[in-house]
Amino acid sequence: MVMGLGTAGCYRGSVGSDGDGTDSATGGSDDASDGEVEEPPQDVELVLESMSRRMSQAELDNTLADLLTDLTRPARQFLNEDEFTPYDNDYTLQGVSRTYVESMEMMAIDVASRLVDDPARRDLVVPCAPTSPGDELCFRQFIESFGRLALRRPLTAEEVDAYVALQSYATEDNPAVDNDFYTAVKLVVQAIIQDPEFLYRLEVGTPTTEPGVFQLDDHELASRISYLLWGSTPDGALLDDADAGRLRDPDSRLASIERMLADPRARDQLHRYHSMWLGYRGIPHEAALVEAFDRETSALIDRVVFDEQSSYLELFTASETYVDDFLADHYGYDRPAGGEGWVAYGSDRAGILSHGSVLAAFSKFTDTSPTQRGIFISERLQCMPIPTPPPTVNADIPPGNPDDPTACKEDRYLAHQEIASCAACHSLMDPIGMGLENYDIGGVFRTTDEGKPDCTISGQGELPGVGAFSGPRELSERLMESGQLERCVAEQYLSYASGRALGAGEGPAIDHLFQGFADAGYDFRQMMLLYAADEVFGYRREPGT
Amino acid sequence: MAFRLHRRTFLRGAGGVAIGLPVLECMLDDHGTAYAGGTPIPSRFAIVFAGQALGGDGYGKTENRVAGMSFDEGGHFIAPPETGSGYTLTTPLQPVADLVDDFSIVSNMRIPWNAGSVDGAAVPMGGAFRDFHGGGCSPLLSGTRSTSPSFTANGITSDQVMAGVNPGSLYDSLVLRVQPSWYLAGSSYSGRQYISYSGANQPVEAQVSPQNAFNSLFGSFTPDNGEDVARLDFELRSRRSVLDLINRKRDGVLGKLGAADRIRLEQHFDELRDLEMRIGAIDPGDLPACSLPTDPGPDPEIGGDNAGAGSADIGTNTGYSEEDLRASVMVDLVHMAFICDLVRVATLQITTFQSHMNVWQVSNDIGLPIRADLHEVGHNGDADNRGQIVVSTMLGWHVGIWGKLVRRLKETTEGAGTALDNCAIVFMPEAGHGLQLNDGVSLNATHSVEEMVQLTAGRAGGLRPGRHIDTAGAHPVQNLISAMQATGFDGDTLGEVSGNIPELFEA
Repeated sequence: MVMGLGTAGCYRGSVGSDGDGTDSATGGSDDASDGEVEEPPQDVELVLESMSRRMSQAELDNTLADLLTDLTRPARQFLNEDEFTPYDNDYTLQGVSRTYVESMEMMAIDVASRLVDDPARRDLVVPCAPTSPGDELCFRQFIESFGRLALRRPLTAEEVDAYVALQSYATEDNPAVDNDFYTAVKLVVQAIIQDPEFLYRLEVGTPTTEPGVFQLDDHELASRISYLLWGSTPDGALLDDADAGRLRDPDSRLASIERMLADPRARDQLHRYHSMWLGYRGIPHEAALVEAFDRETSALIDRVVFDEQSSYLELFTASETYVDDFLADHYGYDRPAGGEGWVAYGSDRAGILSHGSVLAAFSKFTDTSPTQRGIFISERLQCMPIPTPPPTVNADIPPGNPDDPTACKEDRYLAHQEIASCAACHSLMDPIGMGLENYDIGGVFRTTDEGKPDCTISGQGELPGVGAFSGPRELSERLMESGQLERCVAEQYLSYASGRALGAGEGPAIDHLFQGFADAGYDFRQMMLLYAADEVFGYRREPGT
Repeated sequence: MAFRLHRRTFLRGAGGVAIGLPVLECMLDDHGTAYAGGTPIPSRFAIVFAGQALGGDGYGKTENRVAGMSFDEGGHFIAPPETGSGYTLTTPLQPVADLVDDFSIVSNMRIPWNAGSVDGAAVPMGGAFRDFHGGGCSPLLSGTRSTSPSFTANGITSDQVMAGVNPGSLYDSLVLRVQPSWYLAGSSYSGRQYISYSGANQPVEAQVSPQNAFNSLFGSFTPDNGEDVARLDFELRSRRSVLDLINRKRDGVLGKLGAADRIRLEQHFDELRDLEMRIGAIDPGDLPACSLPTDPGPDPEIGGDNAGAGSADIGTNTGYSEEDLRASVMVDLVHMAFICDLVRVATLQITTFQSHMNVWQVSNDIGLPIRADLHEVGHNGDADNRGQIVVSTMLGWHVGIWGKLVRRLKETTEGAGTALDNCAIVFMPEAGHGLQLNDGVSLNATHSVEEMVQLTAGRAGGLRPGRHIDTAGAHPVQNLISAMQATGFDGDTLGEVSGNIPELFEA
């Protein structure tokens, strides 16, 4: 097999492990001595540890939607909820259990049965019309095409033969069952969906001269790109790129990434990423309002990242927002022309921190929580962790007495500041939230405490160490002045891309991504491109090496 | 559905392992305690868990605020003032009024803690680290002290000990959870979803889907009709072929992986192999009591998020996934899995530790609508409803689910008595209601491992139910040890706690 022709670029590895994806058995860590050895990348210290990752519920549902046009979100139905830390893909928490394996079998049977019961969907997967239940030629065609798409690499002849054996269930003479050609199609789908090679993105690669560092093979790389940019499986075109060796070379890989970023799946994936990062993947509002908030926030992300490809900071500074009449009425904005569109904010609002989606997250005690909002801003937008409360503090009890009709919320939270042991941490959180107190958990402006018209909200806050502010617009300004926001944006993305929290020693990798982001004028789309097209993206480091 | 006796066969997985036989009445001896051959009727052990406390923060056991009115009135704390039998039935026990002779109230238990230090190294044996929710977890479940606020168990839990002592024919233990979502977007379960551990920091993942639980337990029951039998045979053979195909890839896949991945994938392939071995027709014989439960059908939708706490905006469509219905299905499954001897040990976690399930629907059905999530019910309730009655209303909902399992077993004839005669079914709430663990000074706190109460039903192994036992400070794990001993455990220790509650066995 020929690969990687004419694309030298800055590619420094040798043309070795070929594109059929089946020879990676020679690349395992135990086999480093008897296989080929590649050169490590130039910036080898930036290659982070990684393990094989199991698809999250959302990734599995996206994958089944793309592979089988199954839009029922079966993983959400059959599998237990993922841990969100805040991202759903933390491989360090993906334990194996009887429950998971058993549930997965049931899901596979359900998915495969519904597929073959629906001729329209079935015919999208089976590329030929069988002439009989035992039409082996057609069955092989199906196995090869579906197997390649689902396992994200071409199948070996032996693998195809193993699946062909399942055709005996199609041809069995059994009056009790209505078996036909598609009975065996169902079993192949069932087998592949439960296959660990489908459920996990196994990364093996080829060893390099740097101990513990491996170069991913073409198809492993295709999966890594696809699950990062789409949260789903590679399509045929990306697998073609992998087959032809076009992904190993960063220059030619760039073209594949550009194509993928132009696909609607890239937008969906980035919306999902933001909803986890900024905590609004679930908010306590009625469905219609939640959908309207989603449209508002997604429209801003699309505009800044994909449509205008402007500085990502506009996500925080945008002077207008996308609403329909319903949402405009909710906020008290002027209705947009034509029932849906961009409208100008009032003076105190700007960007995404003014959205009801973000302002609804992190509430507590029947209301907004200045403390929780402070933790959110500090940890998610400045990447400054807040220490957990000391054991003797009961964080489940609101400060002061909320039932006292004369006790206003700002005064109650000030109690935190008067006790030295509380103030040490709460001075890092509460003042931030206080500056957002004029915005309730629906993002609606208010001037007094909930149910307490005599308690006027001052709305004065402070980003500790940076300066005072009132409202989302000034908070965004302070965040940009802090010099922490932009690097934190890069750090959050790298953590998500890595499928785990980053360790203390991984600062150089964050700095590297942040520098690229800064050099690109904070064009987020450009940052994603640079990251996935980087030479080091094609390598992995074995944990503990 | 009827089953034909003559089709009873041993269950054989791919490896030829006998998977087990259901009990037949004709095989019982005259006393109904053993098979004709002398093998005893199996004992069963179960824990039903509630992720809530026994009272409300800052509210004494007689203090209540309902529909905006405050008043003092006793009788709502789960443990009655009188001990022994004939006690006054309290509010949380109303749903089990018909079962008072079948269970004992084991009250006034406490997990030890160090009043002089909050240091993790200073936690006493079997004790709690002084941060309640996580710190209370390990000693409650495993009798092993906690040394940090993490939600984990530092030792094996009672059910997993029993799984080794008394494995069932299909599973060594059944681990189910009712609440299917954490419901808070800003955080994650982080261990609050486990009550079963096979060892220190080794949680057993619960099955959360009622439909999956039904299918895994009863999906292979042999039908009564020849055509259906052949159809089932075809289905089971094809499932085994599919799994066999995957399992043949084991060595090839594992051989190429790095060390870290290999450990995880080895476990995965082990589970796949076990699954292949388990697949076989299950013929329950014609014992009238063992029958196919109703197929629950697709699971109820998982409810949307319930971010934050008892928001005044909380409606009926957030933070709730029909837990009441899910619990009902799971109780039926545990019951029939016991009766058909598919399993002899079960845990049913109704709500997670520190549960944020929206209680509006459940409490409204009971007649006291509360706009809060379960966690807030204990702390702050909603503006109009808080204190003992409100907490007890939700505790009563949990008790009612446990009671349903107890009632099902009691209504099932087994040998000369009922299935409950061969069971120990423990109701375990997450917290007590007393001195706060965190600050060590606040009274009437939900974050308390003081004044803890459990309910133990059944007559297995000489349990003599029917009264209120004030233990004057026993460790709650001593109640578990009693239930374990009643169902075949010959030890006297779980984790760092030893001894039982002798009164449970006294006439």
